[in-house]
Amino acid sequence: MGTGRGMRSCPLSSGKWGGEMRKGSILIRSNLHKAKGQAAAIVILILLAALMLDLWLMLSMDYKKNFDRYHEKLNEGHVTLAVDDDSARMRGSLREIFGEDEDIEGYSMDPAMHMVGLFGYNDGEINSELILLEKQTALSRSVGKIEIVEDSGIESGIYMPMLYKSEDIAVGKTIQVSVGSHKISYKVCGFFNSIMAGSHNCSMCALILTEDKYRELEETGYASRSILCSVRLKDKNESEDQEAMLEETISSRYPDIRTASNSYALVYQSRYISQMVCAGIVSAMAFFILLIALVVIVSNINDYIQENMKDLGALKAIGYTGQQLIGPLLIQFVGLSLLAAVAGIGLSYCLFPYVNTMMISQTGIPYAVHFLPLPMFITLAVLAGTVMLAVWVSARKIKKIEPITALRQGVHTHDPKRDHIPLEKTKVSLHMALALKTTLSGIKHNVTIGVTMLVLSLVVVFLGVMVENVIADMGPFLRLIVGEIADSCINVQPGIEEDFLREVHADPRVEKVYLYSSAEVRHVDGVGLVATMCDDFSRVNNKSVVFEGRFPEFDNEVALAAKYARENDLEIGMEMTMTAGGKKADYIITGFTQISNNLGKDCLLTRAGYERLSEMRDTSYYLDLADGSDIDAFNAQIKERFGDQVNTTINVDATVEGAGAVYVSLMIMIVGGILVLSVLVITFVLYLLVRTLLGSKKRDHGILKALGFTTGQLILQTALSFMPAITCSTIAGLTLCSFIINPLIAVFLRSIGIVKSTFVVPVGLIAGAGAGLIVMAFGIACLLSLRVRKIAPRGLLTGE
Amino acid sequence: MKNILLKTDHLSKSFSSGGTLQHVLKNIDLELYQGDYTVIMGASGAGKSTLLYALSGMDTPSLGTITFGDRVISELDQDGLAVFRRRHCGFVFQQIYLIDGMSVMDNVLAAGLLVNKDKRALLARARDLFAAVDISGETQKKFPTQISGGEAQRVGIVRALINDPEILFADEPTGALNSKTGLDVLDTLTRFNEQGQSVVMVTHDMRSARRGNRILYLKDGSILGECDLGRYEHGDRARHEKLSAFLGEMGW
Repeated sequence: MGTGRGMRSCPLSSGKWGGEMRKGSILIRSNLHKAKGQAAAIVILILLAALMLDLWLMLSMDYKKNFDRYHEKLNEGHVTLAVDDDSARMRGSLREIFGEDEDIEGYSMDPAMHMVGLFGYNDGEINSELILLEKQTALSRSVGKIEIVEDSGIESGIYMPMLYKSEDIAVGKTIQVSVGSHKISYKVCGFFNSIMAGSHNCSMCALILTEDKYRELEETGYASRSILCSVRLKDKNESEDQEAMLEETISSRYPDIRTASNSYALVYQSRYISQMVCAGIVSAMAFFILLIALVVIVSNINDYIQENMKDLGALKAIGYTGQQLIGPLLIQFVGLSLLAAVAGIGLSYCLFPYVNTMMISQTGIPYAVHFLPLPMFITLAVLAGTVMLAVWVSARKIKKIEPITALRQGVHTHDPKRDHIPLEKTKVSLHMALALKTTLSGIKHNVTIGVTMLVLSLVVVFLGVMVENVIADMGPFLRLIVGEIADSCINVQPGIEEDFLREVHADPRVEKVYLYSSAEVRHVDGVGLVATMCDDFSRVNNKSVVFEGRFPEFDNEVALAAKYARENDLEIGMEMTMTAGGKKADYIITGFTQISNNLGKDCLLTRAGYERLSEMRDTSYYLDLADGSDIDAFNAQIKERFGDQVNTTINVDATVEGAGAVYVSLMIMIVGGILVLSVLVITFVLYLLVRTLLGSKKRDHGILKALGFTTGQLILQTALSFMPAITCSTIAGLTLCSFIINPLIAVFLRSIGIVKSTFVVPVGLIAGAGAGLIVMAFGIACLLSLRVRKIAPRGLLTGE
Repeated sequence: MKNILLKTDHLSKSFSSGGTLQHVLKNIDLELYQGDYTVIMGASGAGKSTLLYALSGMDTPSLGTITFGDRVISELDQDGLAVFRRRHCGFVFQQIYLIDGMSVMDNVLAAGLLVNKDKRALLARARDLFAAVDISGETQKKFPTQISGGEAQRVGIVRALINDPEILFADEPTGALNSKTGLDVLDTLTRFNEQGQSVVMVTHDMRSARRGNRILYLKDGSILGECDLGRYEHGDRARHEKLSAFLGEMGW
């Protein structure tokens, strides 16, 4: 201020004119002083928004870099392959394959043991392709190094991926690892970090044994002797293609050799699903809080203009331009916001270690909290920019103030164009009618409430869906995210299939058995896909895997992942060529699938369909047992009956429970956090609205008290005046959000291959929660309206 | 023998100001009678308005009692006083205090519906009162900002009388009005008093005070004197002189 014409003609320091000149900024200072509550609210909201924005940006920007930093630090491969043949011939062949490939920058090949296996975790089981490495071999790999992050010094035992560090898997404790179907006990020596094989989500999970334990296991022959290859590429973006090509090359040369593999792209997405979901929620809350902060700022400026209309008119009359009056507002609010934002960013660094601990428990990759300037600058820029915009939009009406009009009339607090709810005609009670009059005269308040309740409705619906589909009953979540679920999964060697099936069919505990096995194939025009084979898809439990079209029935049909199909412009009815084991075959697409395990790169084939390409190497059968059957006992009996011809037996129930427990605990934390935040937000918004309403209605309430209205009646009227907007927007919000929640979730889950969310929307629970929200809002409004007690009729008469 | 409507016994009111206690009303014993037009006069700061607020249940005394009929209203809590006010008192304020967000009719009905649940009867009474103060049907639909000060004060009188109160309290009812509209308001109050409505009015205006039949003069928180003017008659010169003499005697 002070560069305009008024400034030159009117010295600031003296006389009437100087006094008027100072008035502009004094008015704003007095505005913030009078509205201390709102100013504090703005500071708190911006602080919270900055905290969450900065956290979100740090999570989304630096965590990916952290993955790459560790990838580089450990000189990790972009493709990891475990080939179950450690002969010199295979080593030579692999050297030849890698050496001929110009896209490969470097590689390492080390002895390992490979077998499907499991271990207990979080009251359940982790089931994965286990890669068992000898400690010194693991630590000395040239590509794909493994670093020990905690070492107790115990000389004989096992080192576990740090992801699994928990109450049961702790240093010095003994854990049981099932290698194939053999249970072996190991003492936990420590924990390690491996980027490409540090989690069951990586398609393969490494376990490190001390030399003596490794030799012991080697001698038992429980696991296949294998070569672990870590391959670095010149271009990491080619990791998926390269993985598929290497798999294809090896399987075509050695069709009987079992392999397991993963790629940089798959591992990154798999290990950061939780972080991505968490970052998404934090960002949504950040923008929600920012929106409320902007609403409060707009409301504060509107109040300021209303209360100071005459003074603003006077300033304009003496020569102030609209810009000169808006300028201080901009400086003040942006300055206040920046201060709050800096405090919020500081707070985010205090909270980040806790969030980081939670994230590490999900990703299993260490992360050192450090200062990140870019997220900080983006946070400051976003907040300053949006606050500036909000101030400008709401304050620009100052430009339109006509001095004479403002001086003569000030501002009309009521627009006498229409008599809402005339008492003469209305059928509703007096208090409801007076409350409705207040409601209808406060359109801006209603809009604020509407926006808040719409967002809270979305939160309620999301929480309802999560409670119903994850916390109360994991079934829908598992069907959507995990895919097929049965009681037991038994992997058998091809030679005993007939005997195995005869045995289980004769067992009265077995209700259903069907082939459900996976293998790698490659789309000729695209990348590698995980093919899931079934002898009869009509027998699978989770029919929702194919959400459009149908399961394949004939050997020339395929159901393809919808995400992959969309990315490659493939439609139902089109033909695609796939290859595996050196053969090619064409398939007609019959349907679209969504299976999150392979991040949208998978397909379903009939067994006959797959066998057009390659023979089944080993086959997994899914079994449903009668209720009450002991799954572990059943699996043990099958193992005892068939011995080593059964590769693995998995208690799927326990495995799913173990993996699910992680999501349930995460979801409970998220639901709890969001609930607390929602209650705070609604309390806060209502506090601001009640405060503003009581401020503007102080005179009216004084009159009504003088006429004989009791404090209770005025509290009721005040609280009731918010209820139409709260009730209508909550009902509308819940209805709308119930319809859009699944498409919205699908948008968030698209990156992991889910394109159509099929979560159950619990109408009863949501309606109950909505009713609770309305009742809670009414209760809060009543409590906040207790300030009416302070209004005394005598104060009205004496001008207090 | 007049019926006692309201009675005070050793009524005192003190305010704490700047660490010192100010005794605004001191030990006042007073009886208000049914049908009277009582005028409370006194110099500025004498405690006129404080007495009016205490008598009407707007404020509570520091000491002493106020009895309405056989009820000691000075012992009531705030909500009890609110109920007392709505059932037994009507108020006409200097600043009028109509609610801007409500139409003229709604301003009256908001007070009326608080006591009278029979809306039809209430509307009939409101229309009668509006007619009595010359407020047209068209004006009844308007909002307070759309009518003149005189009209607004007459609406205020209708609002004060809608519940047929035993006492109408008026605090400088013409204070914010010009001479002509002030006279209209005084005529209205006089007319209602002639119909039996008890009125207690605070004023420092001789012209207004002349309307009362009983004049109380307050000085330094105590009733210094009282004058019985008898029933008001327009143009009664002797009445004017009697009031002037009384006020002169009081040091007015």
